[in-house]
Amino acid sequence: MAPNEFDVIIVGGGITGAGTQRDCAMRGLRTLLIERSDIATGATGRNHGLLHSGARYAVNDPESARECIEENMILRRIASHCIDETDGLFITLPEDDLGYQQTFVESCRAAGINAEIIDPDLARKLEPSVNPELIGAVRVPDGSVDPFRLCAANMLDAKIHGGQVRLHTEVTGFIREGDTIKGVHTHNFQTGEDADFYAQVTVIAGGIWGHGIAGLAGVNVGMYPAKGSLLIFAHRINNMVINRCRKPSNADILVPGDTVCVIGTTSTRIPFEECDNVAVTPDEVNLLVTEGAKLAPSIMSTRILRAYAGVRPLVSADNDPTGRNISRGIVCLDHEVRDGVKGLVTITGGKLMTYRLMAEMATDTVCRKLGVEKACETATTPLPGSEERSYEAVAQKIWESPSTAQKAAASRMGTRASRIRTGNRHDEALICECEEVSVGEINAAIDRMDVSSLTDLRRRTRVGMGTCQGEFCACRAAGLLAKAHGCVEKERADIADFLQERWKGNFPIGWGDTLREAEYTQWVYKHVLGL
Amino acid sequence: MKFDSVIIGGGLAGLTAGLKLQSAGKQTAIISTGQSALHFFSGSFESLQEAPEEMKQLFSQAGIRLHYSPGVRLMPLGTFREAALSLEDIDLFPKASFGKKVLIVNLLGYHDFFSSFLAQGLEKEGMECRIRFINLPEMEKLQLSPSEMRAVQIARIMDRIWEKVIQEIRLLLKDEDTVVLPQVFGLQDASVPSRIRQGIPARVVFAGTLPPSVPGIRTQMLLKKRYQLLGGTFLMGDKVDKAHLHEGRVHSVVTQNLDNHYIEAQNFLLASGSYFSKGLSSNPFGISEPVFGLDIDFAAERGNWYSPSFADDQPYMAYGVKTDENLHAIKDGKALENLYVAGAVLGKTRPEFGTAAGMAVRSALAAADNILKASEL
Repeated sequence: MAPNEFDVIIVGGGITGAGTQRDCAMRGLRTLLIERSDIATGATGRNHGLLHSGARYAVNDPESARECIEENMILRRIASHCIDETDGLFITLPEDDLGYQQTFVESCRAAGINAEIIDPDLARKLEPSVNPELIGAVRVPDGSVDPFRLCAANMLDAKIHGGQVRLHTEVTGFIREGDTIKGVHTHNFQTGEDADFYAQVTVIAGGIWGHGIAGLAGVNVGMYPAKGSLLIFAHRINNMVINRCRKPSNADILVPGDTVCVIGTTSTRIPFEECDNVAVTPDEVNLLVTEGAKLAPSIMSTRILRAYAGVRPLVSADNDPTGRNISRGIVCLDHEVRDGVKGLVTITGGKLMTYRLMAEMATDTVCRKLGVEKACETATTPLPGSEERSYEAVAQKIWESPSTAQKAAASRMGTRASRIRTGNRHDEALICECEEVSVGEINAAIDRMDVSSLTDLRRRTRVGMGTCQGEFCACRAAGLLAKAHGCVEKERADIADFLQERWKGNFPIGWGDTLREAEYTQWVYKHVLGL
Repeated sequence: MKFDSVIIGGGLAGLTAGLKLQSAGKQTAIISTGQSALHFFSGSFESLQEAPEEMKQLFSQAGIRLHYSPGVRLMPLGTFREAALSLEDIDLFPKASFGKKVLIVNLLGYHDFFSSFLAQGLEKEGMECRIRFINLPEMEKLQLSPSEMRAVQIARIMDRIWEKVIQEIRLLLKDEDTVVLPQVFGLQDASVPSRIRQGIPARVVFAGTLPPSVPGIRTQMLLKKRYQLLGGTFLMGDKVDKAHLHEGRVHSVVTQNLDNHYIEAQNFLLASGSYFSKGLSSNPFGISEPVFGLDIDFAAERGNWYSPSFADDQPYMAYGVKTDENLHAIKDGKALENLYVAGAVLGKTRPEFGTAAGMAVRSALAAADNILKASEL
């Protein structure tokens, strides 16, 4: 095969694309993944990071609920270093109908979700930050998942299995012969190069952008862009996921993750043109804080770190203006069957939780087309880094008496933390103090994980995700990137881009300590460093 | 406790005013939380060129020499800015191309000094650059702890071992006419930067690092020392909790540490800094001045406090305490006759005093002047 020929091309570097590439690669296919920006830049990196138990969907969407709990159990096995097994509570407040609890628990059990009614006192004890006014509580196997890490680990495994990845590369059109898609035309934003790639099958895994990509092939995939806004708080105030036990609504899930916690979401239909640049409005911020405080009152006095929004890739069904009643169900389209276009598959709908199942369905379709009979192994094979379940055990194995920074690295990289160079104190120096990311970890990411900018680096290492929002680590990390890539001029612009990207999530919540930090950052970069 | 004047804020504005009032024979106190914008001072007084005579005198008595000449100064990421009045550590050049061959020296394992950015910036101006690292055994302890390699910690060691650094650089030096070093010299011992200059047979240029700023902290320490030498009372690590107002005048303030004492004075100066120093505070609904509840004009719609572009001047930074022509603070539309305002808490409401450090000094001198005039009456 020529270097630009593959068995399958996957368009989209979110979790669905990365998962699909991994599955295809594990079944022995030659794969190429094309992503127009960086990994996890769409809905993958813009959600709660909730490891759904499925309980949220149990009453209204039993099929999604069942998929969730099955995948939940699988991810605990195959992606342990991306997952925090926190468990979750569904709480009933005095203003809610306690009668709903029974329906809820029955629906959960019917879907195979272990939902257990517990005494409100026990709930207060298990989760001290929960609203003490609660009158009912159900414990479910919710958890949290780091979507960046999960996406990166899938892509890493795809690469280990021979897959190729082209980031910052856009599909500009399809190569078509008669009714068959033979490949894609692409444009690389970083090098400016145009290139063609060929494959027998192309899989569109572009989330909400899948609509536009399918359009390039003359195929219509009707989608419904529903914006969801979220807030990140600077502390992890809760240790369990807290949900409201009622019909799903706005701002009724509070998820702990790493050192922070996230409240969300809202749901508003937006036009396709806005998908590239979704902004959080002051009204949404107010709503998230007020509603969120009903789950955990202390969020009222907790600093908000960022506001962000994502667009759910829902497949349109009816005219529900909120998008909440559309099934989160998976849609796998073989365009040969559906539209008479050969060699093209779309995988969409679904959610972060069911990415693996989506990937399996897409890969099954691809394999059927290619006549490949190898069975899917992604449900049983751990992702790279997830061979051990406890990061503390991992850290212990690598370092004997690990420092907190080394433990943090192990929690981010899992067993792959052993790839960080050690024994050299210069590699142990901290670049990002908030998240305790060392020189060694950053260099490992630059070398092995397709990092071309500070923002890329952030998604893979958490550099700049902490309380200072990149104030100090941005230019330290830029120094390492400049060294690795040999281009200082580009790095200076990269710092500016990174700071702009951080500001985008800061100004919608720009008051109190967030404003102090922002003022300081701007002062340092403009007046002290002279950017 | 009774003073002639009480100054809230121990940063550049508060110390400058304190020195002036104390030099004029007044009994003053400065209430300082401890940190100030001097901790991340670039070393240049933006918006000032030649120092006002009074400033030159007050600063030189404190052991701080200032200089200005037209041209440019080198910034830490390898860019150049127009020259401004500067501490003697900061070099000012007639033009950006200040040498032919430059040796940039960093310390091994130090990531807060941007040698490659500097090299690229200087090469762009036609200078030839070589980057070298020095590693001294005295640094080992810092290198062992991953977050210790920071400017102030290094400067503490450099105060002791600067002679060794000179020797190392002499060995590294080939035919370069200029040596660029990080600003990690002269924290306690202000003479170290000039000793390094004397000891190296090439022009020495100190380039900035990430905060904390060693020249900035040294400046604060020198100003404070001089202020105390003049008999000023510096209440370090304290914070004003309450203020007592009576008939349009401030009667006294109460601080966190001295909570059963009324600190009384004829005049008060508010020099409490901007948001970062908590001179201004904000919540989702507004911007306020936390000590006296002074008047501040700000956009009612929160969305208008910001520009979505990080690089832009942000509207919120312009907001500040309202004052009358004599820098009296305004509360509920009326001037408080013995409360004056200086420094960053003014925001950009008094552009005639300049911006940033220049504004801090000029507004402080003006406010102190007004206080002295008022007390003569």
